[in-house]
Amino acid sequence: MAGIWIVAETREQAFELLGAGRLLAPEMETTVTAVVAKGSASPQECIARGADEVLLLAELAPGEPFGAQLPVIEQEARASSPHAILFSATARGKETAARLSARLAAGLCSACTALAFDKATGSIVMERLAYGGAAIQKLAASAAPVVITIPPRSFEPAEAMDGRQGKTRELPAPPPSAVKIVERKPKEKVSKDITEARVIVCAGRGFDKKEDIALARRLADALGGELGATRPLTEELHWLPEDLCIGLSGVQVKPELYVGLGVSGQVQHMTGVRGAKVVCSVNRDENAPIFALSDFGIVGDLYEVVPKILEKLET
Amino acid sequence: MPTIVACFKWVVDEVYIRRGAGGALDFSSVDYKIGEYDRNAIEEAVRQRDAGGGGSVIGVTVGTPESAKGVKDGLSRGMDQAFFVSDPSFKDLEPSQTAAILAEVIRSRIPQYDLIACGEGSSDLYAQQVGPRLAELLGIPCVCFVQKLSIEGGRLRAERRVEDGVEVVEAPLPALVTVLPDINTPRIPGVRDTLMAGKKPVITVKRDELTGTFEGALKTAAMTASSLERTGEKLAADSAGIARFVDSLRKSGVIK
Repeated sequence: MAGIWIVAETREQAFELLGAGRLLAPEMETTVTAVVAKGSASPQECIARGADEVLLLAELAPGEPFGAQLPVIEQEARASSPHAILFSATARGKETAARLSARLAAGLCSACTALAFDKATGSIVMERLAYGGAAIQKLAASAAPVVITIPPRSFEPAEAMDGRQGKTRELPAPPPSAVKIVERKPKEKVSKDITEARVIVCAGRGFDKKEDIALARRLADALGGELGATRPLTEELHWLPEDLCIGLSGVQVKPELYVGLGVSGQVQHMTGVRGAKVVCSVNRDENAPIFALSDFGIVGDLYEVVPKILEKLET
Repeated sequence: MPTIVACFKWVVDEVYIRRGAGGALDFSSVDYKIGEYDRNAIEEAVRQRDAGGGGSVIGVTVGTPESAKGVKDGLSRGMDQAFFVSDPSFKDLEPSQTAAILAEVIRSRIPQYDLIACGEGSSDLYAQQVGPRLAELLGIPCVCFVQKLSIEGGRLRAERRVEDGVEVVEAPLPALVTVLPDINTPRIPGVRDTLMAGKKPVITVKRDELTGTFEGALKTAAMTASSLERTGEKLAADSAGIARFVDSLRKSGVIK
């Protein structure tokens, strides 16, 4: 049996990947198989959301990483030769997808943002960003299988339907992995999820010191929004948690309003706000790239401009 | 004393890519650079060598003959020698092809190594595939997205960053890691480093010295400029500008 496969570690991933898989399966007149970790989405939930078959990954022994499942997934994929295998583009998903692709000598479209089946050529057509977001790369796969990773929240999750039926099978436990987890450090403080925020005020390198970020927070509060950041603030200076990092290597956001304060407007960052309805900015450098990528912006020192904006907002 | 392989790529500096006629990419005034993330891989390889009390860092890069500048750039960042796998056809390679070429070169020409370091992704395609694919082709353990690394007694210990926190993992050597940007701060080569780089050995490997077919699996049907441009109205920082800014915010309907 061929078909579209989705491999999910969590319930949320399973639903989104089923949504993406269902864009292809009817067009390709094929089935959907959900390969899911035990304790994520239940087989019934997957079947209701479009899976014709559910393969349950065995529970991992303590210390075994998700990648340990690779030989089991590989063996099943070799046996049933799917057309396409979809993973979430999370850290574990990206690594496992790339390793599986190497084992199957398959092409892999990383961080796919659009996909469709082209009946005329019999190929799966995919889109992704390249050159830091400055370009859109369109890839076509005619040979099977093609492996695809999907950034979380890129596709609509599949809705449950009534009266669907499917089979469930339990997969064997994998052999021990060479890589062992010796310690897990869960995130100390889970910061706000800004992917669903209506308004985002983003702090950039234009801030001189950590304490000054309070100014951005004040504007965010006044606008009823959340605080975001550019990569240097989260990765280099560690002034804000990494979850707030917007851009290609951070989160993609789609607020009604984005306000960039002291943000220069590098393409890697701005590509993360391409879904924003209104983009505006404050930057003292009139040649900063962000102005061309904004709907409107103020050329000026954010330390002088933001208090004035706050004042004006109150009137 | 460890032998560490650092993989890197000489890429177009995306800052100079312009949007050409009809949405085509205009590369006419581009400059090139070593991928940002690959600089962290080279730096980490050099630091692990030094922490291990000597040994060597061998750089490997795949590209067109024009990438020779990148080899020298890489060597100026502390590597001891480099393999330059070069052919005019090695342009716009897919990650699967790059990984296959790297695998053959490492397998056939670097008989013993302890660690392979790659960046988390290339600066141009950022497909994040070459590292993990290479590990599979070589049949060695792989740890991706590493923010902290140490080597001791034939094993590595790494902090891998995942969505829900950090996994501290151990694996036997030889192994491959892909590193995150905050694992280190890459050095900026000085004049002396650049002069020394010219004296370090470079082994050029040509296409016909390799046996693989290196066929691609996907087809790039199009590569077009993405449009991020907006109206770009610039306002002054005076009271009229502030008033117009706040007015525009209100008109957007997002705030009251």
